[in-house]
Amino acid sequence: MTALGELCLLTAFVASGYAAFAGLAGRSGNHPVLRSGALWAAVCAALALAATVAVLTWALVARDFRFQYVADYSDNLLPWHYALSALWVGQAGSLLVWAWFLAVLSLAFRLWPGNAAGELREPAFGLLMAYLCFLVAVMVFGADPMLPSVAPPAKGSGLSPLLQHPVMLVHPPIIFLGYAAWSVPFALAVAALLTTRVAGAERRGCEMGTELPPDASGEGERRTATTRPHFATSERCPSRGGTREAITTSPCTDIRHTECAGYDRLDAAWAKAARPWALFAWVVLGSGILLGAQWAYEVLGWGGYWSWDPVENGSLVPWLTGTALIHCLMAWKCAGVLKRTALGLALATFGLCNFATFLTRSGIFGSLHEFSRSPIGWLFLALMLAIALGGIALMVWRRSMLVPQRRISSIGSREAMICLGVLALVLLAVAALAGTTAAPLSRILLGRTIVVGQPFYNNVLVPTGLCLLAAMAAVPLLRWNASPSLSQKRLLLVAASAAVLAGIGAFAAGVRHPIALAVAGLATLSLVAPLAVLVGQVFNLPDPNGKLETCPTAGLLARYRRQYAGFLIHCGFACLAVGVTGSSLGTQRHELTMTRGETVAWTGRSILYVDLIEHELPDKLVVHAQLEISQEGTKPYVLLPAQVLYRSQNTWGTEVAIHSTWSEDFYTILHAGEGRETVNLTLIASPMVRWMWLAGWIGAAGAVIGLWPNRRHTPASARSVGSNGPALQRPHWTRAPQHQDAAHD
Amino acid sequence: MTTGRKLALAGIVVVSVTGYMAYLGASSSWQYYLTAEECLAHAADLSHGRIRVCGTIATGSLRISQDHREASFALEAGAGQLAVTCTGLLPDNLAERIDVVVEGRLDEACVLRGEKVLTRCASKYKSRAAAGATPDAAPSGREIAT
Repeated sequence: MTALGELCLLTAFVASGYAAFAGLAGRSGNHPVLRSGALWAAVCAALALAATVAVLTWALVARDFRFQYVADYSDNLLPWHYALSALWVGQAGSLLVWAWFLAVLSLAFRLWPGNAAGELREPAFGLLMAYLCFLVAVMVFGADPMLPSVAPPAKGSGLSPLLQHPVMLVHPPIIFLGYAAWSVPFALAVAALLTTRVAGAERRGCEMGTELPPDASGEGERRTATTRPHFATSERCPSRGGTREAITTSPCTDIRHTECAGYDRLDAAWAKAARPWALFAWVVLGSGILLGAQWAYEVLGWGGYWSWDPVENGSLVPWLTGTALIHCLMAWKCAGVLKRTALGLALATFGLCNFATFLTRSGIFGSLHEFSRSPIGWLFLALMLAIALGGIALMVWRRSMLVPQRRISSIGSREAMICLGVLALVLLAVAALAGTTAAPLSRILLGRTIVVGQPFYNNVLVPTGLCLLAAMAAVPLLRWNASPSLSQKRLLLVAASAAVLAGIGAFAAGVRHPIALAVAGLATLSLVAPLAVLVGQVFNLPDPNGKLETCPTAGLLARYRRQYAGFLIHCGFACLAVGVTGSSLGTQRHELTMTRGETVAWTGRSILYVDLIEHELPDKLVVHAQLEISQEGTKPYVLLPAQVLYRSQNTWGTEVAIHSTWSEDFYTILHAGEGRETVNLTLIASPMVRWMWLAGWIGAAGAVIGLWPNRRHTPASARSVGSNGPALQRPHWTRAPQHQDAAHD
Repeated sequence: MTTGRKLALAGIVVVSVTGYMAYLGASSSWQYYLTAEECLAHAADLSHGRIRVCGTIATGSLRISQDHREASFALEAGAGQLAVTCTGLLPDNLAERIDVVVEGRLDEACVLRGEKVLTRCASKYKSRAAAGATPDAAPSGREIAT
């Protein structure tokens, strides 16, 4: 079987290499045979990798210790589902899963009918295949999952008990899927930078009214970038057909339909093509990170969920830059700004994914995690450096094409707030990166390793987090390319009043920390602002002296689905902020020794230690401490924190017991004890933790709604952006309809 | 003032505040992260501040008090050994021949007074052979972070 696996892996290597060559060469020479060959070679590579995964999976489930990988990461006592999870626990297996995901995503990118990449599809596909070839080459030459055991052992080393948790069945593959998905915006960016043609007018930027040269089709028609006063179009409710002149008349470029679109490949259409992949990668990687935090919280038994360790920062940093990228894409598409920033972030995010791999596989970072110390980490560092240098060179080379279509018109515009939010995200990413690399850099520069502690990260998180929250809260009530209208200002005032009331309410409830009060207010603003937008759209709020007109809520939600999906994600972020702030500032710990029958009062709870209970299981011995908790206003409940002896590893571990409510988690840890009479316990009361997990679900729901494809046959009236068809209903006081469409296409 | 300048000013404020906060955080929390061997070699320079030392617990050196709140052991440091004493809750899986990270201060007698002991988390990409505790041993404390 190892030979079959090796054969599959080599097939994938050769096929992905050919696909990369054919994809890139076929594009430049316009050879249909090469292009078709690239596709079939990619299919072959994906199938070969799937076969390799199948072989390793079978070996893990069957405990075939002739595979060195199986011997290293499983044993006979391991339940089958955790044996399956060993597929991505080891270095070679995780690379294999990553490569397989990349192959499948690349094919999806190439074949997806709704792919808006246009002419960039082929070169981007070639680049994806080149990256796949790199990953497979790393496996073939450096971390072979099919390596046979020199002397197959009778039993394997087993899987670390800490990794035997349901979350670990999904957390690592989700992270790798996220890494794989970030390669698509990168490939699109590089393909656009490499293949875009530069013409004279491009060097001047695509200004309004600029006469443009003939398009690539050679039709020779002279075109002019269009200026359309969106807000001057008639407003009407689609379900009622009524029309009403909008009061606001703020001329702005329809970025999506500017004639620049057919002119170079770095127009708003690029942003449209990159956005779904970036959003997909964002939600997948974010879910993976949050699942990892939940695993740390429930399994590691220290009462926290994030310790700014290099392995955590490694995945957080690309997620932060990716978040910034998604917002830059929106600003680019809708307001024609942040073009350079978006491309730079697309390159940086992918580079940082590779840097994260370097972090966890080079062994040079001081961490509480045990990392492999193989040379393959350095390959990823080399790749990251090549991406960084190549990306900078490409952007300098194509700088004339990266001139933004517009300038930010007002500090009160939506793009200005996005700009501030992007700055906060990038600052946080830079700080996390600086803290993570402080150790190796100080060793190189000073000869000694220096690490920074959590206060460094937390101190950075406070200003950047508040700035981010404030920008995010205000954005729904702002419009593109203009200051807020009078209606918007009024709604902003209402939302701000609600935020102030929330702050006062939090103060009355006993919250005294200024950061907690600020977060309470801003989080409320984040929740109220989208509601205000919805109310404004339902009632189609006119400016003063306008006529009140109502629209069905469901219709509006469906019509502006992607906009509200974005707002829903913002609500999730507000929940995350509440959870992080509450748990960071309000956590209380108490370490104590209890004797049997003793009752202790703490944080309003009465805690009774009843007894120590032992359970013999085939693979472990579990020793529970039975605690009965009573609290005024709630039903009494029992918690069973435990110590577990894992027989296979012959080591003890902790199983914490948590009673979770929306206001607070009560977290108990059983430590050492002598006999049944006394137990050593740590009690932790951690407020608002549940809000963080809720945030994950809300964010994921928002992303799924936002990514859901449009119906193929949209009525003509709904597609009439920039056409002569009927005008669309839009909230004139928020932004132009064309922009809404563009923002959420 | 143009919009660009207003934005630049806002950006400068955000960057400045963040930079200052980062400086405060770094200056209050930085530590040397050393191997036991480096700690022994530079002991004279390290007596004034908190340090973080990683190493492997030497065979036959581990002593744990009955209430599991005090321990002493030695970290392998090349040819020598670095003596360590710790108080507080100890990791459950504290045992000989495992890798630990000790945070604390080095006293004049070159003994590391640990305030926190962390066992390394067997994370992805690395398997870990069984070590330390025996089935008969009583459960021990553990503090571990990701």
